[in-house]
Amino acid sequence: MSEHFKTIGDITVYVSLVLGLIYTVSFIRNNKAYRLFTIYLLLISIIQIAALYVGRGGLQKSNLYFSHYYYISQFVLLSLFYFELLKMRWIKFALIPVLLFIAYQFIADPEIYFRYNPLAMTITQTIIVFYSILYLYKTLQGKSEFVIVNVGILVYLISSTLIFASGNLVLDLDIPQETRFTLINVNRILTLIFQLLILIEWIKNYRPQFRRS
Amino acid sequence: MEDLLTSDNQVINIILIAIGLLLLMAIAIVLFFYFSRKKIIKAELEKARLEIDHQKELLQATIITQEEERSRIAQDLHDAISSKLNVVSLNANFLTEKDITTDDANKFGESILNVTSTVLENSRRIAHDLLPPTLSKFGLEAALEELCDEVSESGKFEVRYEANYPMETLPSDEELHLFRVIQELMNNSIKYSEASQIDVALHKEDSVVRLAYMDNGKGFDINDAMNSKGLGMSGIKNRAAILKAELSMTSAPNEGIEVKIEKPLGSSA
Repeated sequence: MSEHFKTIGDITVYVSLVLGLIYTVSFIRNNKAYRLFTIYLLLISIIQIAALYVGRGGLQKSNLYFSHYYYISQFVLLSLFYFELLKMRWIKFALIPVLLFIAYQFIADPEIYFRYNPLAMTITQTIIVFYSILYLYKTLQGKSEFVIVNVGILVYLISSTLIFASGNLVLDLDIPQETRFTLINVNRILTLIFQLLILIEWIKNYRPQFRRS
Repeated sequence: MEDLLTSDNQVINIILIAIGLLLLMAIAIVLFFYFSRKKIIKAELEKARLEIDHQKELLQATIITQEEERSRIAQDLHDAISSKLNVVSLNANFLTEKDITTDDANKFGESILNVTSTVLENSRRIAHDLLPPTLSKFGLEAALEELCDEVSESGKFEVRYEANYPMETLPSDEELHLFRVIQELMNNSIKYSEASQIDVALHKEDSVVRLAYMDNGKGFDINDAMNSKGLGMSGIKNRAAILKAELSMTSAPNEGIEVKIEKPLGSSA
């Protein structure tokens, strides 16, 4: 069973790279929001591949510190992405206090770099979830872009927040490795669903049209 | 998987349940917005459909008015001009005969003169009814005054008119709409109201032109009139809409009618 889930995990890493690359295909033809989302996909896939390499490939070391790059780049790029979609200026200004708070955490306790940072993860993901609900509300007004991706972001970030937030707690528990992986497996499946939605969005709305109408 | 049931793994279980609940919540939010959106789109479609229906009715009403107007003009032309010209033609025919006496010639000539002057008078009247030249030459104030004079000349009504309206305050097409509204209201008063007095007031204020019309006739139920397919009231409403003017109409049985139109200046229709 765990082997299957490991395979799914690996698949999500490669799929994230594939998604980043297929979104790049239409990079020039689309607007700023699309470009920011593409950069987000590419950056996340690079972080995931690096984490996979460090954790399992050549180095066999702890790769927990990659989580910091993950949630910070996710927060910055998705904030800018939602700024483009929602056109609300305060979204840009909201970046500053959150990033300052995370910086303060690292200065106050440098050790945190080698552990999960549940508070920062929860804050950044909750803010993005909030933006996605705002955008969902905006889509009520009529036709809009990135509706499917927005649903994916909402569903995935709401549920994965708890998985990441409980990271340190689970690591400290005295339970078998197998059980610990249950959470990671749930996350893998959720990630796969999220990636599927991103793929559907691209196929439906951003696939290059070869037929000239 | 059986491990999940042992007490050591309580924490994991609770986290899993919480994740499940969050997932459900997220899906609920998405579904809520999805169905709301569907509902909104449906409502908008319905609104658009009503709008189109209204447009169709309007178009139909316009065509009917056009046809009625045409047949009225045709009737007028026939009665007032063609039939008279027949007489002229007949008389002129007599004049061409060789053995005609001077007396007869004079008689026919006089008759032709009489009929042609009636025809002239009639054609002037028809043209005037179609589009009063006063309106284009001397503006709305003078045209309304003329209209009021004509109606009061009939002797049925006392028409009071007051105006304070510099020429060319509004573009001529907008003046025509206002003129037609008053014309229509007067027609209604003449035909149905049994009123004895009509008040018309036209004023230009700082940024608005106010036109008021009042009669003391038997009035009617406003809602019935607005909804009826009759062209009069809906025509007035449409003209006000074209003008982007505020229209208020109050009337009740036995209380006459009061119509006010406020056209803001600087908002050309």
